[in-house]
This record gives sequence, C-alpha cells and structure tokens, in this order.
Amino acid sequence: MSEVLDIEQFLHTERLPHIWCPGCGNGIVTGAFLRAVLDLGLVREKTVVVGGIGCSSRAVGYIDLGTVHSIHGRALAFATGIKMARPDFTVVVLTGDGDGAAIGGNHFIHACRRNIDITCILFNNQTYGMTGGQVSPTMDPGDRGTTAPYGSIEPSFDLCRLAEAAGASFVARGIAANIRPLERLIKQGIQHKGFSFIEAVVPCPTEYGKRNPPAGVIAMLDDTKARSISVTAAAKMTPDELRDKIVTGILYEDDEAPEFQSAYAAIVERAQAGAAEAPARPKQPAAPRKPRKTAPERPPARNGEAADASGLPLEGGE
Amino acid sequence: MERWHTHVLREKIDPSSMLIQGNRACALGALDAGVRFFAGYPITPSSEIMEAMAVELPKVGGVFLQMEDEIASICACIGGSLAGQLAMTATSGPGFSLMQEAIGYAIMVEAPLLIVDVMRAGPSTGRPTAPSQGDVMQARWGTHGDHPAVVLAASNVADMYRLTMAAVRFAQRFRTPVTLLADEVVGHMRESFAPELIDRYRLTSGDFDFSPSYIHPELVREVHPPHVLGSEAHPHVTGLIHDETGFPTNDPQKSEKFLRELYDKVGNHRDELCLYDVKNEGKGRVCIVAYGSCARSARAAWKLAEKEGLQVEVLHLYTLFPLPVEIIQKVARRVEFMLIPELNLGQYAREVRKMAENWTTVISMGKIDGTLITPREILDRVTELVGKYESV
Ligand SMILES: Cc1ncc(C[n+]2csc(CCOP(=O)(O)OP(=O)(O)O)c2C)c(N)n1
Ligand code: SF4
Ligand SMILES: [Mg+2]
Repeated sequence: MSEVLDIEQFLHTERLPHIWCPGCGNGIVTGAFLRAVLDLGLVREKTVVVGGIGCSSRAVGYIDLGTVHSIHGRALAFATGIKMARPDFTVVVLTGDGDGAAIGGNHFIHACRRNIDITCILFNNQTYGMTGGQVSPTMDPGDRGTTAPYGSIEPSFDLCRLAEAAGASFVARGIAANIRPLERLIKQGIQHKGFSFIEAVVPCPTEYGKRNPPAGVIAMLDDTKARSISVTAAAKMTPDELRDKIVTGILYEDDEAPEFQSAYAAIVERAQAGAAEAPARPKQPAAPRKPRKTAPERPPARNGEAADASGLPLEGGE
Repeated sequence: MERWHTHVLREKIDPSSMLIQGNRACALGALDAGVRFFAGYPITPSSEIMEAMAVELPKVGGVFLQMEDEIASICACIGGSLAGQLAMTATSGPGFSLMQEAIGYAIMVEAPLLIVDVMRAGPSTGRPTAPSQGDVMQARWGTHGDHPAVVLAASNVADMYRLTMAAVRFAQRFRTPVTLLADEVVGHMRESFAPELIDRYRLTSGDFDFSPSYIHPELVREVHPPHVLGSEAHPHVTGLIHDETGFPTNDPQKSEKFLRELYDKVGNHRDELCLYDVKNEGKGRVCIVAYGSCARSARAAWKLAEKEGLQVEVLHLYTLFPLPVEIIQKVARRVEFMLIPELNLGQYAREVRKMAENWTTVISMGKIDGTLITPREILDRVTELVGKYESV
C-alpha cells in the first residue's frame, strides 16, 4: 500500500473535505505527524492528540486517534491532565502560534519547565488564521495584520529559544516546505522522553500571505525554503549572516533531564512506602542544563528592524 | 422532613482526629468518594483542601498537580476526567472566575468533575478571609450560553464531607461538573465530626467505584454516550456543538436536540438532585430559607424563637441549582413571608422570589460587611415581620 493510503487509517476520511484553505500548510504538517505515528507504530487506543482553537488546532477533528479539541490556549493544560491520569498514553499537542504562544503562553512555559513527557507541535503561520489575520506573537515587526494595518510594532517571540530557556528537553524547528526533515523531527520528538517542542513553520496564504510579501503559496514555500538553514550550518555563521534565516533541525536536546511524570511516580512510591513521616529528602542541587547544540539565532526576522537590536549570541555553543 | 441521600464510609476517619476543619473534611469526603485526581492553584480560603490532597493522593496512588493558574487547573482536571479519572479542583472567587470558560467546556463534553468554591468576600480581591456567599450566581451562570448547573452549598463541617460525596455521585451519574459552594467560615471552622452524624446519612451501597474509567452504571437517560480516552472507540471530544458521535454539527435540529438534552438531564431530575431539610414544618407564618453559614444561623434562630414563644419554619437548602422549585412552592403556599438571609445582596432571594411570589412575600436579608448574619439578627427581622410574642 502506498504511504498516502497507509496514513488514511488515521484519518476520519468521512469528515473530509477539511476546512483549510487551498494552499494552507496545515495539512502538510498533519500528514507529517501521521506518518510519524505510522512509522513509530503507535497504538491507536493509547495515542491522544489534543488541539486548542485555531485553524491548526482543527487538525484533531480529522485524526482518527483519541482526539480532544479543547479550548483556546489550554491544550497543554488538558494534555498535562491526560498524561498524568494515563502515563501509558503517548500525548501530542497540536497548537498554533496564537493558541500556544499568546493566550496559552503561560501553560507553554510551565509545560516546558515541568519537562512532562508530551510532544507539542506548534504550527507557526505568524498570524491568527482562524479569526482573520490579526497580529500574532510570532509575527515579524513591520508585518501587516488586520489589527496592525500600519505594520506590527511588536517584537516577535523566538519560540524555540523560549522553550529551551523554559526547560523543554527537546527543541526543534522544521518547515512545511521541507516535509521529510519535519517528519523526522516529529518522530524524534515523540520518542524523546520529556517535553518535546517542535515548531513547524507553515504558510497561511489566505490571511498572512494576502497582506505580506511574497504573495502566493508557492512563493511563500519557496521563500521559507530559501531562508531555512540547518542547525549545523548556522553554527558557523555570524548573527549578521543569520538575520532573516530560519534555523532548522534539533536545536536543543537533553536526554537526562528529569521528566515530570516519572518524578511524580517516584513520589507516589515514597508516599506509599510510608515516607510521608520521614524527613524530606535532602535538597539536591539542580543539574546544570546541557549546553546548546548550536550558536543561538534570532527569529526569522524579515522586515528586520527590531529583531536585530537585541540579537546578541549567547555563550556556550558546542 | 429531610430529603437526603448519599452513602458514607466512616471507616477512614480517625476517631482521634474528629475535631476537623471544614476544608479537611471536604478532602476526606472526596477521597472516600473515589476522587483520585486533583489539580489546583492556591487561594485563600480553600488552600487547605489542596494541601490535604497533596499529602493524601500520593498515598493512594492518585494524581496531585499544582498548576500555574486556575485555568490550567481546571483544564488539567478535564483532561484527567476525559482519561477516566475522577477529578476535582478547589478554589475561591477569583480563581472560580478564571475557570468559567473551561467549566462550560466540561459541561459541553459531559466530563464529570467536582469544583469546590470556598467563597470569600468579593468582587475582585475583596476580603480574602471574610465569609461571603457572593458566588451563587456565578456558580449558576458564570460560563456563557444556556447550560445546566448543579450547585450544592455546605453549611458545616459534616456537610463538607457528605456533600462532597453527594457532589461526586451527581457528577458521575449526570456526567457534568458539580460545584460545591462553602463560605469561608464553613471551610475554615473546626467542628467535631460526630460519627453518629455520618451514620445518619449512610446510604445505599456500591455507588462509588474507585477504578479509573468508571462510568456510572445508571447514567441519567439524557446523558450522551460517554467518551473516555483510551477506550476502543478512540473518541473525538469537542466543545463545538456536536451530536452523539462526538463530532461537530451545524444542523439546527441536531444542535437544538443536543443542547436541550444537556439542559434537561439536570432539569428533569430535580427530584433526585434537590437536597434540603425542613425544620418546624408547617409551623409559623414565616419560613427562613437559607443555605451555607446562614442556614446555621437560621436553625439557631428557630430555637431562639421557640424559647421566646414564636414559631418559625426553616427551609435549609443543600442544593441551590437546579432550583428546588417543588419544595419552595410547597412552603410558599403555607407561609406569609419567606425570609432569605444571605451574605450577598439577595442573589438567591431573587431566585426564590421568581418561584414563590405568587403565594408569599419574599424578603431578602442581605449582608456584605464581611461578618456573619447572627441568629439574633434573623430573629429580629422575623419578629419585625410578624410581631413579637405571637402565641405558639
Ligand atoms: C478565549 C478565546 N478567545 C478568542 C477566541 C477566538 N480565536 C479563535 S482561534 C484564534 C487565534 C488562533 O490563532 P493560531 O493559534 O495562530 O491558529 P491559526 O488559526 O493561525 O492556525 C482566536 C483568537 C477563542 N476561540 N477563545
Ligand atoms: S486561514 Fe490560513 S491557516 Fe487558516 S486554513 Fe486558511 S490558509 Fe490555513
Ligand atoms: Mg497562527
């Protein structure tokens, strides 16, 4: 059977056609995720996908696994409850830049900090697609949105840097325009024990593309492809050279970082052994974070003015 | 006449610690009822519930989570509930406000859940350690859209235990979030927790099942097929209006059917859901209708009145919503006045008035200075209404 037909077993084909616009990148990322599910041989009953609200989050409505279409911004909080209730589940969150980084920003940093074994795939289209193209926290300064008709004046988040700083133990970025590497990153993210964050840069030709160059989905895909650069190549470049670039690959990985659910299981064990009365465990110094894989980079700033002002490299590249 | 049913399990209560705090009694009731999942965020005057759960849940292999805020707390609970755990959170007014959107989601996806709101004086930060009953209407209508609500109110420590259990049972049987309201003083006070008292409420057996993914064998008929993650059905769960498959629908007929069933599963079962106690039944021209701490004062006022040669009836409500229409109207038919003392500006009095005004005069007695309504204050108001030293 061809691969396309194979992933159909994880799709509610009866619910198609989907709601996404022609040229939308959401289907590409969803497909990449499903191929990862297929390749990893995940058990359907034990795989739960949680979405928030947004075009991207709507992917859960087509996926034939356990799926929860939650509320705006809170997918990670739902997922945390699910994972803790059923540690045997593989829990994946599909979210958008608005859902995951604006309204859900607090849950995002705390899920990273706990390093709970959840994989979060964030569809970054740099706008609020579903509600009509408003400013998002990943929109580049100068970009136009319906709520920034004169151009956005807000600096944007580099979500990978945010995730890493907050404590995620697997951080990666891929682009919809380069589908196989993205698929591999998703697979690695799911396999990783701990909080895995994968930013997928996707085109929204309708709401972002119609207000910001380059217009048209092919041009948008070509543009991200031209600007994307692997993490190893980026390590050899200066911040100046990295401006406007989209650094892809695994940006941070730490297999030893303590995972939340397992840590909790150890607490249960202690409590059940009657340890509640025993003196608390002596405080252990926090293990030093693993250094970054590469020289850090600033976000893919295209219209650039505000982005480079603080784009100083951090110490500690490998 | 008391309408009450729940079950009890006294065994777990250590007789040596019988003097316990309301919030602790709530935690014990939850554990005894099978709650094995708690997610919360600290807030006065409810934090002791959370702290008790932090100690006890790991011992029974349950999940305890301190989340980053109340929104995350209730969302984690819904996640736990969808994955088959009996989940609970506890908070107070400001946190309860934050939870409202997600409470609507839980109602919509029919996720059983227990929410305890130990009320403090509001609005806003208000007076965190002052008792209040200001969240009554928030508990009913806090989330948007037409939705059902099951809201109970505790008036003492024993209530904190047994109503918590009743709330869990209702949540399971009706597959909906249930809110238990307590005012600060009920959560914080310590009372002796008499075994006889619990014995009185021993109920039918076998209603509490402690296994994850437990689905009540006698779901109310309007409940839609439960979607439990991890089941063979690998369900889809959404806050969009959906049909029995769980998938969204825009069909007007299906939408209406779904929403009406959701509403009716509570409204049609008032008989089961409405718990109350009538004291001094059928005596006197005035009935004091009260809940929470005010119900204690009302009961004391009745005794005080008796000593002073006056008869007064007391209707103590344990269930505020669904509205106990039948009992309110029954009492309304026989009294001249219904007096509603409450620690707000008449939130529940308005509800009572709607139900009773055809037959009686409903008088609101609200207080918002952060102090309790005393039995004497109630009695003074009663005598004002009927004249002092009326013959027995
Ligand atoms: C509490 C709440 N506020 C606002 C909305 C409206 N809303 C729906 S989707 C959305 C933005 C989604 O943006 P993003 O996560 O980037 O998803 P995209 O559509 O771009 O994939 C907003 C603001 C909502 N549903 N709920
Ligand atoms: S609005 Fe944008 S993100 Fe939403 S479906 Fe259309 S192209 Fe995709
Ligand atoms: Mg977006």
